[in-house]
Amino acid sequence: MNLRSTRHQAPDEATALELFHLREWTDGLPVVIPTEERVGDLLAGVELEPDVVIGEIGPGQATVEKIAINAVMAGCRPEHFPVVLAAVRAVTDPEFDIDNMQSTTHGMGPVIIVNGPARDVCGPIASGWGALGPGHRANASIGRALRLCLMNIGGARPGHGDMAALGQPGKFTCCLAEDEEGSPFPPLHTSFGYDSEQSAVTLVGVDAPHSVMMQTNDDDPEAHERILRVVAGAIAIPGANNTQIGNGPVIVVLNPVHAGVLASAGLTRDDVVERLVELAVTPNATMLGWATKRAFRDDNAHLPALRGPEDLVLIVAGGGGMYSAVFSGGLAGSTHPVHAPIDFDFSCELPRVPAP
Amino acid sequence: MRDGAIFAKAGLPSIAIVTEAFVELAAFTAEAVGMPAVPRYVLPHPCSGTGDENLARVAREAAPGIIDLLEGRTR
Repeated sequence: MNLRSTRHQAPDEATALELFHLREWTDGLPVVIPTEERVGDLLAGVELEPDVVIGEIGPGQATVEKIAINAVMAGCRPEHFPVVLAAVRAVTDPEFDIDNMQSTTHGMGPVIIVNGPARDVCGPIASGWGALGPGHRANASIGRALRLCLMNIGGARPGHGDMAALGQPGKFTCCLAEDEEGSPFPPLHTSFGYDSEQSAVTLVGVDAPHSVMMQTNDDDPEAHERILRVVAGAIAIPGANNTQIGNGPVIVVLNPVHAGVLASAGLTRDDVVERLVELAVTPNATMLGWATKRAFRDDNAHLPALRGPEDLVLIVAGGGGMYSAVFSGGLAGSTHPVHAPIDFDFSCELPRVPAP
Repeated sequence: MRDGAIFAKAGLPSIAIVTEAFVELAAFTAEAVGMPAVPRYVLPHPCSGTGDENLARVAREAAPGIIDLLEGRTR
């Protein structure tokens, strides 16, 4: 295979790893050394030539080859690679405004949401217990591959290319699938016009997730409204960019139990989103007390955290119980949720798949 | 920096104003947009939130240097 990247020599993998750390090519954790053979294994699973440019990230061109190198480093297997390619395609959509996200002082990063058959074929990508936490190889590797692309192709190093004042752990990796089977709503990607049998990634630039606890009770006829109010409260928290500046997209990850209560009350996905947009507001009198940038009006207005339904991405995931989550937004309106199809055709045998 | 580059590409005189903490990012961004020589002026860091009196002082001190850059007397 004709690869263009510079070859580096090292006597063994341990020395090579030290070289990668020394040259600042890692996220701080050890990486898999991207040998020509390993990169070739990933490239063999896709039909694109290595020199095809998927998009531009800052000063760097994200070619299929460069993305594959970073995906190997992140620990990806060949079947994960189509999801990484789709994620890079999505973040380089101008609507996402990745260059602004790379350089902001706000500790935000992209979250990858996977829908469709790729959840199994390109994974398994977890959507259940601990979907946002450790222990799921595909979730961890795919999200990390995107981060390494942002660092190594896009130059996002802390303190210069990446000016996040603090950052957040989700910037190491953040990828999950939607629990389509456990959700009472149609899969997220169908809201963007995809067929449910197609696969797609949805990328949203957000802050760290905030846990939302709500113990529901089947005897409570108002349970659905209580869930909506507590989730809306988590969107409009005082420290969130959306509260203080407004206009950033947010993600609401509904636990299947919470989603079930909402659906049982007759609410569709659109109904839930609309009600959350309505409820996620802060009284201007309260804003005045916080002396934020939006607190210059003295009327009795309620300041919205969201521009409208288009800024709220709602999915269903997690183990059944009482915890949902909200990812706060940021960048004051310059980033928008984006999506891209996941193209995979593993009709040929994937290279070096170990026996179970 | 990106705004400065956009103005410069449109043929409008422009200076990107950055604080000290963002000097490296400014160079990186200028390089990324293909205009490494976009003129820039560096202010102390932080400026934001340091009060009206200090901001007025910073502005007074910076203005002549920014005008010199705009008029091509310095680079």
